[in-house]
Amino acid sequence: MSVRRRLAFVLLAWSAAAPAARAAGQPATATLSATISPQASLTLSTASLVFPDADPDVLNKVPATGGPVTINAKARATQGQAVVLTVLASSDLRSGLDVIPASNVTWTASGAGFVAGTLSATVPAQVATWTGSGLHSGSQQYFFRNVWTHPTGTYTTTLVYTLSAP
Amino acid sequence: MRKAVWSGVATAAAVLMMSSVAFAQAASDTKTVNVTAAVNAKAKLTLGSNAAAFADADPDVTPLLSATAISIDIKARTSAAGNVTLTVQSGGDLVSGSDSIAINQLTWTVTGTNFAAGTMSKTAAVSVGSWAGSGTPSGTQTYKLANSWSYNTGSYTATITYTLSAP
Repeated sequence: MSVRRRLAFVLLAWSAAAPAARAAGQPATATLSATISPQASLTLSTASLVFPDADPDVLNKVPATGGPVTINAKARATQGQAVVLTVLASSDLRSGLDVIPASNVTWTASGAGFVAGTLSATVPAQVATWTGSGLHSGSQQYFFRNVWTHPTGTYTTTLVYTLSAP
Repeated sequence: MRKAVWSGVATAAAVLMMSSVAFAQAASDTKTVNVTAAVNAKAKLTLGSNAAAFADADPDVTPLLSATAISIDIKARTSAAGNVTLTVQSGGDLVSGSDSIAINQLTWTVTGTNFAAGTMSKTAAVSVGSWAGSGTPSGTQTYKLANSWSYNTGSYTATITYTLSAP
């Protein structure tokens, strides 16, 4: 390295170090913060369930056409807290004035944390529960209880899924 | 002085951070699914026997012949206000070769809710029972044949058709 280049390097190093040297007498801190808030994201493979008509003597539990509902849940929660997925029917199954209780709809489940259950129009039924943050997936196969005593009609209701992350 | 200011700022930031954690809101996401269930009209009739036989007897001793009771099991799905009906009609009179016995000589008694006794006809369907709405009623029907000295001897037969309707 030539003398000139060596001198230039020293000057450059000094100029770079000078502010730090001046600051050495005035200590300061900077706080870096990141806010991680609870988040919840729910994805269902379908927005409709259809139970076709069937002979009660042949099928006493009619599966929904289209097969299981695939559920993907993403949740960011407080450590150790339960992330809960529930489903609630907005009302019993209705066809005009005729009513079939929501409890005639049941489901089986697959996937870690998912549980089988019975639909209700008054109390949210648990579909799945997990502890803490994570991504979860599973499925629900819905069934309609098929009995001779149901009045004929086309019955409808709406299911409301709620994923909660505390 | 500057040190005190920086210290205050740092403290405020820490307090702000702590408070934001303390007041973090729980998160939730909701999705809806529409449900449709089709429940169509259906009718299913099961008879305990497809034959009713009357044994020969002295008309003075047994003026009314009786067959073994036939069990009737109904499964019907209809509207809430729908009327489920069960009727019978004979294909003709009781015949034996060229001889005949008028089919109105055949009557029946019943057991079971909303089953009805009646007299057979070859020209009109006769009610055996009627029920409101969907359900699975069951009962029995016992055929009776008037036994008369005026009948010509023979082995008489007729075919009876049952019709269950669920609108």
